Amino acid sequence: AFPKGVAIFFKEIQDFFGTSYSEIAWVSSIMLATTYGAGPISSILVNRYGSRPVVILGGLLCGIGMVSAAFCTSILQLYICVGFITGFGLALNLQPSVIIIGKYFLKRRPIANGLAMAGSPVMLCTLAPLNQFLFDNFGWRGSFLILGAILLNCCVAGALFRPIGAATASVKTQVAEEGKDALKEEVTKDAMEMSSPRNITMETKTEEEGGKGCCEKVNQYLDFSLFKHRGFLIYLIGNVLMFLGFFAPIVFLAPYAKHIGIDEYSAAFLLSILAIVDMIARPTTGIIANSKWVRPRIQYFFSFSIAFNGACHLLCPLASGYTGLVVYSIFFGLAFGMVCAMLFETLMDLVGAARFTSAVGLVTIAECCTILLGPPIGGTLIDTFGDYKYMFIKCGAVMVLAGTFLFIMNYYNYHALAKEEKERKAKEEDPKSVRTENEGRNNWNKETAQEGPELEPLREEREGLKKEVNGT
Amino acid sequence: EKNITLDRATRIELSCRLDKYSHLKRLQVTWKRGNETIRHMNKTENSWSIQLRILDYSNLGGYSCTLKGEEEISAMFHLQVPKIEGKEKPIVSYEGDTAVMICKSFGYTPIAWTWYMTNGSEQIAINDSLLADKYVINRLSANVTHLKILKLTKEDDGVYWCEAAFELGKSKGKLQLRVLSLMVPLKPFLAIVAEVVILVTIVFLYEIYSKKKEKSAEDEKEFDQVEQL
Repeated sequence: AFPKGVAIFFKEIQDFFGTSYSEIAWVSSIMLATTYGAGPISSILVNRYGSRPVVILGGLLCGIGMVSAAFCTSILQLYICVGFITGFGLALNLQPSVIIIGKYFLKRRPIANGLAMAGSPVMLCTLAPLNQFLFDNFGWRGSFLILGAILLNCCVAGALFRPIGAATASVKTQVAEEGKDALKEEVTKDAMEMSSPRNITMETKTEEEGGKGCCEKVNQYLDFSLFKHRGFLIYLIGNVLMFLGFFAPIVFLAPYAKHIGIDEYSAAFLLSILAIVDMIARPTTGIIANSKWVRPRIQYFFSFSIAFNGACHLLCPLASGYTGLVVYSIFFGLAFGMVCAMLFETLMDLVGAARFTSAVGLVTIAECCTILLGPPIGGTLIDTFGDYKYMFIKCGAVMVLAGTFLFIMNYYNYHALAKEEKERKAKEEDPKSVRTENEGRNNWNKETAQEGPELEPLREEREGLKKEVNGT
Repeated sequence: EKNITLDRATRIELSCRLDKYSHLKRLQVTWKRGNETIRHMNKTENSWSIQLRILDYSNLGGYSCTLKGEEEISAMFHLQVPKIEGKEKPIVSYEGDTAVMICKSFGYTPIAWTWYMTNGSEQIAINDSLLADKYVINRLSANVTHLKILKLTKEDDGVYWCEAAFELGKSKGKLQLRVLSLMVPLKPFLAIVAEVVILVTIVFLYEIYSKKKEKSAEDEKEFDQVEQL
């Protein structure tokens, strides 16, 4: 939401520094790129220090970035301050807040995800008029200063991220050094007894790889062994494909509307409709995803929503006139919200809360490339053909492809998981096969299907506030 | 009513045409400029037109054609120079900073641009060669002009005019500059920072407090257990 919100200032800054539009657009791109590209670094830091310090640091960085941007005297300095520093701060905010949902919630995790992701459109809606107000009263320098202060509020949200237990990293080091088969279970505790229990997560993968100490150490911080994880690979490929066509339609919706001949305000209103529908769709999707019919098959629901999104784009060129576009915006908002709400939920579901930290880092850096490529490719399509419909067709096709791919692969994955579960149960009944118990626990950890006591959603709306400042 | 924009000397033909009320008889059509009647009028079946030579500013203005019959119908033509757009909202800048003001002409290329500063009720032309370290005037392209004011002070606050000179006359655009001191945004900034610090402290204090409570509750339990033993 934040990179889009800052775009309001670009015209003035462009006049002030005398640069071209594309040079200004780089500010937004650098910010977005850093937010997603610094994902692994964020994951490493969370693995090492836990969520809370990272989020507070992120909030401070965002604040410092924007405040220093207020005193910039050249476009290059703006790239660094607004682009890199604030982007990096946002990255440090995004990862831990997504991760912490996995740590706090289990039974109602989809709802939590949905609500948290709903913060983004809320912020986008409020940020646009707020930015305009700040700009009219304080000019762009003053606005950056005040926005920096507002971003510091992330620290407050971060302070509320009470850690559930001791930092798991230090325990992992112990386990790895001793090299024992110390199999301890992950226990999720009630919020009341948060301070006491120690969450000890097991990393059998680290032990199995044995041998090279260096590899072990890297795996502690960033779990590269995830690349052997079937579910993770499916998710990665599907999502990378999807992001190629995800953001382009939003970027080009208003210009397309103006191209057909709709006036500026109505075109802007289309985006507002999208945002409002998005806002409602995200928590609703969370609730639906949490229902007992959908939750076991959440991957199917996710692939369906991606394909639905693609279908919307494919049908868009058929929409004629303003009412057609309004209908398109409503459906697009719905589809967009559905996908965003379940984006991280499905990853958690596949990988499990233990390895989610590293997973989210690796996924974001892979997505980073396609997110950045998406709109420019769409732009070149529009420029070469002079018509917007090819861009919509391309986005629609890519997303339908991604959706079907995910659907088929997850069907296969669910089957494989069910088979492994059967094998594990059969072997567990056999007391002699201790060797395979290792493998069994391994598979079991892939889905943290712990029926632990339910955790109170600790200040959910604060986490919603967290999501506001972040990408999707 | 019709507005016609002209930027250079030209010949123009204005005509009034009657569609619906052609059944009206005994029509008398007059072309006027202000109160002056124009004589040389061309008449065709149901249209009346005049040909004008626009040479300078005095030829511009409002021309009207009036049809007097049973009813009186009139049409108005406004011949004018191209309009220059300034900025409706004030440009906000800070003391010691630089302000950039831009004026654009749409479609028509002016011969020259001049910038004026308002001092009280007077308009003073800005001479950038005289005060080269304060004002910089650039003509970025044929239709765009740039005024850069360096080292802003409170006195630079006010209304500025950019004037475009065309062959037929001049046209002005209005811009407003507001110069603020750095204290102005600093106050909300400090207020928000203070709020953040207070909230964070409250959260941490509450956490320490609840931990102490738990500890003392645990200690009590241990104490009870020891007593029981």
